[in-house]
Amino acid sequence: MTNNSTHFSSRRLGLVITFGLTALAMLYLSYSLPRLLPGDFVTAMYASSQVTLTAEQEAELRAYYTEEPGFCSYLLRLFTLDWGYSYAFLTPVSVLFLEALPWTMLLLGAAHIISMSLGFITGVEASWRHGSRIEKGMVGGMTFLEGIPEISTGIILLLLFALNLQWFPAVGAETAYAEVSLLTRLADIGLHLTLPLATLVLAYLPGNFLLTRNSMIMVIREPFVTTARAKGLPALRIRYSHAARNALLPLVTRFGLRLAFMITGVLVVERIHSYPGLGTLLFNAIQARDLPVIQAVVLISSLMVLTIILILEMLYRIIDPRIDYVR
Amino acid sequence: MSLNIKQLSIIYRDGSHSIQALEEVSLTLVPGECLALVGESGSGKTTLGNACMGLLPSNALMEGKISLNGRRIDNLDESALNEIRWNRIAMVFQNGAANLNPAYRIVDQVAEPLIQRGLLSRRDANAKACEALEQMGVFDEHHYFYPHQLSGGQIQRVLLAMAMILEPEVIILDEPTSSLDPLSKIFISDVIIRLKSNKMSVILITHDLEIAVSLAESVSILYLGQIMEILPAKDLLSKPLHPYTLALGRSYPTMTTARDLGGIKGDAFYRLVHQHGRLDQEKYKHTHIQVAGSSHKNGHAPPAGCLFQKRCAQAIDRCLTEPLTLENIDGHQVRCLRQGIASLLKLNGVSKKYNELIALHPTDLSLKCGEIFCLVGETGSGKTTLAMIAAGMLKPESGKRTFDGRDMDKWARQEYQSLARRIGVIYQNPAESISPRFSVLEAVAEPLKIHNKDNTTKEVYERVSEILAKVRLSTDHSFLERYPHELNMGAIQRVCMARALILNPSLLVADEPTSSLDPSVQAKVLKLILDLQIELGLSVLFITHNIGLARKIGDRIGVMLAGCLVEVGPASMVLSSPIHPYTRLLIDSVSGKAGSSLKPISNVVGGKGCPFASRCPRPKDICLEKKPEIMEINHCRVRCHFPLY
Repeated sequence: MTNNSTHFSSRRLGLVITFGLTALAMLYLSYSLPRLLPGDFVTAMYASSQVTLTAEQEAELRAYYTEEPGFCSYLLRLFTLDWGYSYAFLTPVSVLFLEALPWTMLLLGAAHIISMSLGFITGVEASWRHGSRIEKGMVGGMTFLEGIPEISTGIILLLLFALNLQWFPAVGAETAYAEVSLLTRLADIGLHLTLPLATLVLAYLPGNFLLTRNSMIMVIREPFVTTARAKGLPALRIRYSHAARNALLPLVTRFGLRLAFMITGVLVVERIHSYPGLGTLLFNAIQARDLPVIQAVVLISSLMVLTIILILEMLYRIIDPRIDYVR
Repeated sequence: MSLNIKQLSIIYRDGSHSIQALEEVSLTLVPGECLALVGESGSGKTTLGNACMGLLPSNALMEGKISLNGRRIDNLDESALNEIRWNRIAMVFQNGAANLNPAYRIVDQVAEPLIQRGLLSRRDANAKACEALEQMGVFDEHHYFYPHQLSGGQIQRVLLAMAMILEPEVIILDEPTSSLDPLSKIFISDVIIRLKSNKMSVILITHDLEIAVSLAESVSILYLGQIMEILPAKDLLSKPLHPYTLALGRSYPTMTTARDLGGIKGDAFYRLVHQHGRLDQEKYKHTHIQVAGSSHKNGHAPPAGCLFQKRCAQAIDRCLTEPLTLENIDGHQVRCLRQGIASLLKLNGVSKKYNELIALHPTDLSLKCGEIFCLVGETGSGKTTLAMIAAGMLKPESGKRTFDGRDMDKWARQEYQSLARRIGVIYQNPAESISPRFSVLEAVAEPLKIHNKDNTTKEVYERVSEILAKVRLSTDHSFLERYPHELNMGAIQRVCMARALILNPSLLVADEPTSSLDPSVQAKVLKLILDLQIELGLSVLFITHNIGLARKIGDRIGVMLAGCLVEVGPASMVLSSPIHPYTRLLIDSVSGKAGSSLKPISNVVGGKGCPFASRCPRPKDICLEKKPEIMEINHCRVRCHFPLY
């Protein structure tokens, strides 16, 4: 027993070290990559403006904006939340970032929670009715939905509910400059959230549904499900505690994989609905060649993804105790 | 009675065809008793267990009744079933670990029924589960393990503990021992004995015949969903009545049988039912049943009769067509047109005298279909005489001979040819039994020419090649043209065998067929005879002086001494615990333990007393005075005043 536990903890340590090294590699990439982008802030800023710079001025500006801090001081500043000043917005990057982050978290978190739980439950129920007309219909419908890119769903929803029916606002995360009570504000936020959220849920749901259903169909054929039935357990217990519990793993994996597309995934939806999240921030920053912002958004979001994946890796072991035995 | 299954039929519908899993199975289970279900895979054993639990898949059609303590349980809805499941009837499924949820600790899974039924709090339930596991020999430190951390034997114990947690009345054990080592098996059987003593009824689904014998009261033999035989467990290995039961026993390795495992010819198939739909008894009964091998479309003709017929050693034409029911024979219930394993040959008190010399005292011998009977004994003991009488080549002085239910003497007088066709003979001296002027082709084809006159030359040639291939001889044209003097002894012996087998006889009388062969060829020939026994259902009367050989090939052994059969019995018994001192002597002589002061034995008329008396290590007065009568001891018949047992 003791032997085993040291074995496990050493393995867990190895896992953490691996993730740490990956994080370090990411840090270096985030430091070096933006510099490799073609064009720079100066070109982007002054190319379209009326102001004509002399060659001397341009060289001076360029020298200012492409200053090389060195990797070590870059790291140091990173940890002190000193992510530099945005060239375009003239505010500290951390402020911009922390302003945008909650909106993205809200949108993305809600989208994932809703699509996961909805997809999971519908998947479990559909697989339990395997071969029935309902199940076949659901699989057909979900496969169809899966085929529509989120950019199309987003625009269709926008046209239908914001432009034609005018049920929901078309832009923003909340009504600007409104001094209202907390409750009204929450309702307002919810109203603004609905369309982008619906777009994302429609994008993620079919995959979750199909994955759950497929892995459930494999699991409900397992003898232990029959054993559970033989034990005379309540139907819901058999379905969820015994069968669905063991069908959960692929779904969790998918969640982790989806996270890798966190920022790019919301970027499209945030742009369509002009939602002030990280996606929009990144988009604007890229357009303006706003290097510090790009760096910060890319780096912090990738570090967040990495952390969540690490947590999921630990979670696997709880979901399926056999994983510790696989070498 | 606790569990009563009546006329249970189950069909699995699968697209356009349906598979008959069970057909009119009726069983009764008494509290405190164990009923074993035995049969090959696919015979419907597990389906029966699932039916009792209400666990049949949705494509199963069921007809018949299952009742528990007089209450029908086959037509209940899910919630009523849940009351019965685990509470009244529990099951230990086969395939061990796959039946446990990999994500939960074993103690939680054992306690689960208690908690979910609201019988105990989680804590009490866990304590009770631990206790149950402890009782099954799963120790403390393993209770909080996950299933994948346990070994197969421990998993089986966990499954048993789980099945018994609600103390059901009936427990169904599906192959509980099939993947266990012998010691774990003993543990499981102890558990089953304990269950029985607690007045639980046990249905034991198994293919382990010895477990069935030691634990069950009665055994039901299932084949393709039909009960072939219901018999008391003690008779399963020693006295089966249905050929299928016998064949199963022959395929099962025990420590007592010395002969090679036989197996059963052919494979079990699916039973397809055409025209799926209602389970209309009249409609589907036999007329729409199609038996198919590998392909569904080219099924064989529907067997109206016995399902086992294609693999049976004693099948006759009527088996194919006549419907069967279970009949009561000798305390067994047997589904067989021929009333169980048929006797092929029966000799009643046959004797033979050559002038003053008694070659054979009145002797009884019976040979069952598909059986290999070995006659052993020293030179001059009358083995060949008895064999020739059995083959119908020699007329006995007295006594009655019956072959396949017909009086042999009458048959021989009326139409000898049709009798001779049924019996193939391999003579003692192979080289002399083939005319030196016949080529191999002519020698082997001769019986064919005599019995089937209208064969074309080509057909004869093909048939000869076929049978030569069967005895592992060359089928070259040049070989067929050879003459006996060009062949070695082994080849001649096999030519004789081919000649004896070419008419597909039911009985092969083989007089020392391997005595002139070297050991490697002898091994091949013996293997061949065993194969033919399985494939053709051949019965063999095998005469040899080599008791070691008899041990490897014989189902039963008869020991001959001075024209008397002194001991007859199952090969394993005769050889492991001989009852007659002469048998003992023979065995000792093979293993080099016998002394050298052996006197000859006289066969002269008027000799009184036991013929073995002069050599017997412990003769008494009566042995010299009176001839011993036949005694039946322990499945063996023996002729001795003072048997060794």
